[in-house]
Amino acid sequence: MATLASRLRFSERLTTTKQRRENVYGYLFLTPWLIGFFGLFIGPGLFSLYLSFTKYDVLSSPVWIGLENYIKMFSDDPLFYTSLGRTFYYAGVGVPLGVIGSMFLAILLNAKLRGLATYRTLFFMPSLVPIVASVVLWKWLLHADFGIINQWLIDLGWSDPPGWFGDRRWAIPSLIVMGLWQGLGGTRMIIFLAGLQGIPESLYEAASIDGATALHKLRHVTIPLLTPTIFFNMVLGIIGGLQVFTAAFVATEGGPGFATTFYSLHLYRHAFDYWNMGYASSLAWFFAFVIVSLTIWQLRLSRRWVFYYGS
Amino acid sequence: MAATIERLPNAELRSDVYRRGRNRVQRAVTYILLTAAALMFAFPLFWTVSSSLQTWKELRSFEPHLLPAIPQWGNYAMVFSSVPFARWMANSFLITAITIPGVIITGSLTAYSFARFNYIGKEIWFVLMLGTMMIPTQVTLIPQYVLFFNLKLINTYVPLTIGSWLGGGAFMIFLLRQFIMSIPRDLDEAALMDGASPIRILWGVLLPLMKPALTTVAILQFLGDWNEFFGPFIYLNKVDLFTAAVGLRFFQNIPLETSDPRDHLLMAAAAIMTVPVITLFAVAQRYFIQGVVLSGLKI
Repeated sequence: MATLASRLRFSERLTTTKQRRENVYGYLFLTPWLIGFFGLFIGPGLFSLYLSFTKYDVLSSPVWIGLENYIKMFSDDPLFYTSLGRTFYYAGVGVPLGVIGSMFLAILLNAKLRGLATYRTLFFMPSLVPIVASVVLWKWLLHADFGIINQWLIDLGWSDPPGWFGDRRWAIPSLIVMGLWQGLGGTRMIIFLAGLQGIPESLYEAASIDGATALHKLRHVTIPLLTPTIFFNMVLGIIGGLQVFTAAFVATEGGPGFATTFYSLHLYRHAFDYWNMGYASSLAWFFAFVIVSLTIWQLRLSRRWVFYYGS
Repeated sequence: MAATIERLPNAELRSDVYRRGRNRVQRAVTYILLTAAALMFAFPLFWTVSSSLQTWKELRSFEPHLLPAIPQWGNYAMVFSSVPFARWMANSFLITAITIPGVIITGSLTAYSFARFNYIGKEIWFVLMLGTMMIPTQVTLIPQYVLFFNLKLINTYVPLTIGSWLGGGAFMIFLLRQFIMSIPRDLDEAALMDGASPIRILWGVLLPLMKPALTTVAILQFLGDWNEFFGPFIYLNKVDLFTAAVGLRFFQNIPLETSDPRDHLLMAAAAIMTVPVITLFAVAQRYFIQGVVLSGLKI
């Protein structure tokens, strides 16, 4: 009896030493990240939450003004609504087109045909072009007068082709076209390829035996089994698409007019042009709220359409 | 019964011929679609190079020349003599030379902690780390700017590189963690029995096995920094400190000695800026794709 008790105590001590060791080393190695997490994320995040209730221009100290920034945002800042609308237009059109386009490219590349590696490389290349370089290139391709695309459109009989980046109505579509060129064949397509390779061959064989055509297989096997991948890409795409900044800033600086003044550009102007750091912080927090709610909403909605094979 | 026996081979044969014909059509359609897509993806790249070798008069002649009459290699020299583009490229390289070791060292440490140790609060930290991916950068941007402003670190590379030395971001950590988890624990335990310390196990056992993941992480970090515009744009305002991305945008708008159009020069600069990335891709293509596979995104 005594030996059993002492043995128990011994093993207990052993587990506690082991546990202590795990705690010590676990936290030791986590330290650099913890410093970054608190110093660059939680700390600044809380500070910006505080700033959102103040008037602050960096040079003098913040002055508490309560909810004034938030009230101004909703009642006295027409550009707030415009920029939010423009951002939703950009992400709402660009992201679904991009996700669906990448999926179809991946499906084409997944056919067991010769020479497909070359195609894959070609599709992937535009995603490597740095975004600023891509903007320079597309501003030239879509130049209203001398751009090769408009010259072709004129040759094809469109006598009055769009002004693209210089036209209020066409500026966002121009950015979407550029984004599709860069994004369709990039990482997202590779993620779809990985998803496609995870579909068991036996399902296609079974469908063949039932007399399914290629289109049937696409509709009833491939796409349903890709819904988790579609969902994943949609969530990441929306989070990224809503934060669009560089393309619009470098291409048009938010113009013409306010046509491409996306939310992040509006926020940038308040922060770094007008030094309204307090107001910009409230814009940032509202934006975080929008993005997190949208993501949660997508997660909820996903239960209705995302299909997990084998579960 | 007899009728069935007679009909069967015939029907099978017919459906086989039918299927083979259908496959051929399918294959042709696939190739046509792929080729059309390939042309659309490749043309802008071709056009960058072609435009960069033309004179501005050729470019603005209302009759596009697909190829330059005489390739103007001097355009490239013009870029380097008009703006300090070589300096900007060097600055971009310098930044990646600081961040890549950072993400490799501190990212591996964090991933090692998440993958191999069982400590109080681990799950919470892990979820919080993944959660950081969802929060828009704008939320932390302003206080970070204020912080670096007060620390007099504007016009230094500290704000642009410090994150890589503090774990390097959720995605990288997640990718490395997934990879460590795929390495059998027996290897760690054998080393532990031999009396190796945890840091020795990471250094001697795990890191050598993690080379593919580390290469992927290094490449992703390089691409990210090379592409990054916003950070360098707000933290650097001395022309000599610019990165290639910020420099190219600057080159779009600054006055030059001549007031001639500079589209050809901009295209040359865009091409120059893309060369390092394409070269990296050419030598390490498989690691670009591995990033996806490694993060376990088979979903």
